[in-house]
Amino acid sequence: MLRTWKAMSKRARTEALNGYLGILPWVLGFILFNLGPIIASVYFSFTDWDIINTPKFIGAGNYIKMFTRDPLFWKSLQVTLMYVALSLPMKLAAGLALSLLLNLKLKGMNFFRTVFYIPAVISGVAVSLIWMWLLQPDYGIVNSLLRLVGIEGPQWFWDPDSALFSVALMSVWSVGGSAIIYLAGLQNIPPHLYEAAKIDGANRWHSFWNITIPLITPTIFFQLVMEMIESFKVFTQAFVITQGGPLKATFFYMLHLYQQAFEEFNMGYASALALFLTICILIATIFVNQTSNRWVYYEAEVEERA
Amino acid sequence: MFKKRFSMILSVLVLVSMLISACTTATPTATKAAEPTAAPVAVEPTKPVAEPTTPPAEPTAVPAAPVTIEWWTVPSEDFSEEVQRAMVAEFEKTHPNIKVNMTLLPADGYDSKMTTVLGTGQGAPDVAFFWLAEWLPQALELEPYIAKDNFDTGMYYPALWRTYALFNGKVVAMPLSVGANFVMYNKDMFDAKGISYPAAEGVTAEEYVELTGKLADSTNMVWGSDRPRAPFRAIWFSFGAQPHSDDNMTVDGYLNSDAAVKAYQWAWDLVKTNGTPSTSDLETLSKTQATGPVELFLANRIAMSTLNQGHMLAAIKAGKNFGIMPEPYSKDKGPYVNAWSLSVGIYKGSKNPDAAWEFLKYWAGPEGQKFLMDNGTLFPSIPTVLATSQYKDNDAVKAFFKVLELPNVNEWRQTHKCNSTVVKAAADLWDMINLQKIERDGIEAQLDSMVPAAQTALDECRAKLITK
Repeated sequence: MLRTWKAMSKRARTEALNGYLGILPWVLGFILFNLGPIIASVYFSFTDWDIINTPKFIGAGNYIKMFTRDPLFWKSLQVTLMYVALSLPMKLAAGLALSLLLNLKLKGMNFFRTVFYIPAVISGVAVSLIWMWLLQPDYGIVNSLLRLVGIEGPQWFWDPDSALFSVALMSVWSVGGSAIIYLAGLQNIPPHLYEAAKIDGANRWHSFWNITIPLITPTIFFQLVMEMIESFKVFTQAFVITQGGPLKATFFYMLHLYQQAFEEFNMGYASALALFLTICILIATIFVNQTSNRWVYYEAEVEERA
Repeated sequence: MFKKRFSMILSVLVLVSMLISACTTATPTATKAAEPTAAPVAVEPTKPVAEPTTPPAEPTAVPAAPVTIEWWTVPSEDFSEEVQRAMVAEFEKTHPNIKVNMTLLPADGYDSKMTTVLGTGQGAPDVAFFWLAEWLPQALELEPYIAKDNFDTGMYYPALWRTYALFNGKVVAMPLSVGANFVMYNKDMFDAKGISYPAAEGVTAEEYVELTGKLADSTNMVWGSDRPRAPFRAIWFSFGAQPHSDDNMTVDGYLNSDAAVKAYQWAWDLVKTNGTPSTSDLETLSKTQATGPVELFLANRIAMSTLNQGHMLAAIKAGKNFGIMPEPYSKDKGPYVNAWSLSVGIYKGSKNPDAAWEFLKYWAGPEGQKFLMDNGTLFPSIPTVLATSQYKDNDAVKAFFKVLELPNVNEWRQTHKCNSTVVKAAADLWDMINLQKIERDGIEAQLDSMVPAAQTALDECRAKLITK
């Protein structure tokens, strides 16, 4: 329970003041660069605004259009949800698997950790262009290798049946960043737990399932939330490689939003789209947060209950 | 409990911040500085159709005191930064009281930058490209200045003037340069196959498909021709197809007309020859190696390619043995051309409109365009200046001049601002044809199914762009 300012000792007050001063730059930045645009965006979502002319208040017109007259809204929402469902498990599993490998006590491991982290710091556009080249159906290296073993590879980004999977596959390539976070979680697990389990006859699988996984659930939870948000916001790959095609197979929500804002200049409608996406993500995040009571274990809480 | 609440609050804050930051760092849209879209032309010298209107402000003489005007431009293959700076220096020699502050913007960021400054009214340039229809209401009406100086607007290609200078019947810009699409054919590749060259007036759509099949060697990734970049350009108009009615009201009977079906079926036939590079081939080359049809043409990998005047100059400089003909056409209506210009104008909030007019008049007038032609590679929108081009005796360039005389689809497209919105609403069919995901006899039904969405798109666009 928080103590009131008056009840605090001088030292506690100083400590609190230092804390507030420490977060002041972030708070100011948030108010100026985030909160202001958020409020403006909410207002613009109720207007007809083409950037150049004065916004005209139209009430819920943009939202009515969104739900009743814009088939691309539903299409982009559907594609984005499919992408989230497809890419999220892939990214979480791949990040965890990579972190387990990077947690091995091998010579030169720091080198490998650095190498696997590199994709996380490369620009999304550059990564997109690399993958575009790798997965080119006729002369890309992946299909060329497949042809060597007698397999005719798919059309990847250029076939509506495989395009979404290709984008999801591509997103896995940059799990190095999340692997580092997993790694931090793994290295916080006290070694004596594994030793005790070993003495009790547990094999590696038992140890992984009953010690590793429960103790890194806070990290998994964090990754789940962050990767989910990232997946909802997927944009660069579609913008650079597919432009939403073929046949709208990769027509993501953010691409629709972008096109409305910066190609069609429907900034009011784009603001409504942005607000709806924000609400969707908030709901999804709250839902995940609520379920966390059942599967996320915080060591401190266990100790408190004990 | 506190920890949980705290983490919840933090999560929400992080979430909201990330979303907003993602929205605020969106990549700017690409611009069209050097990208061909469509265009007009007809060389008959007629006077512009602009009706005199009430002048917004009386022009005055150029102020005696020195003034500085802001000019926004972009780098282009036609006019490099160096050439443009040299042009400014030439202008300042004859206009000592006017200093031009040239700002060279990256072509990719030009659209978003102009849209922002015109929207806020802060920091807008005096003189700039006004190539988006949305910007034209913010351009200064030029009739009073034209009248004051008795400026001869009849010197321009009439169709270019009608298309790129007028907006809602008023003169708000001037056409700078002329460009066009045409088919360049590689004579060496024709010779290698023992096929005679096409006639100067071009070939029919059916003949083009046949030639494509004969010239292609798909096992060696050599293609007979490339595919049209988009529907409802020159070939579609030659078939008699347009995406909607002339009054911008109706899609049904236009987007899905018999003529449109025939044009799409022609595209289907062309793709079916397997003699054209696929979408994936061209997109990968273009985005990863900045390589496109012109490079493939120069490398003897495409025998016939729809290119533009910049590509033509590149081929001349590379010493290619090539010819030029119009885009393929239907027998009924003959060939059309997709020719274009660039609208340049003055911001209506300019504090120095008189000085800005002096510079605009120079830049888009005979002197500036000649300077850019002689020192760069720009082809002027003024026939008498174009006739003095250093390339005027080249056979390919002469063929380009002839192509400019054809009826221009861009005159309809530029004056029907919602046409691209309708075409975009039917983009799936174009994808299906390119991906060979539709049968030839399924095209008509597919077009019919796209009419309602296209009509909705047209209605919304009309309310936004045309009735304003």
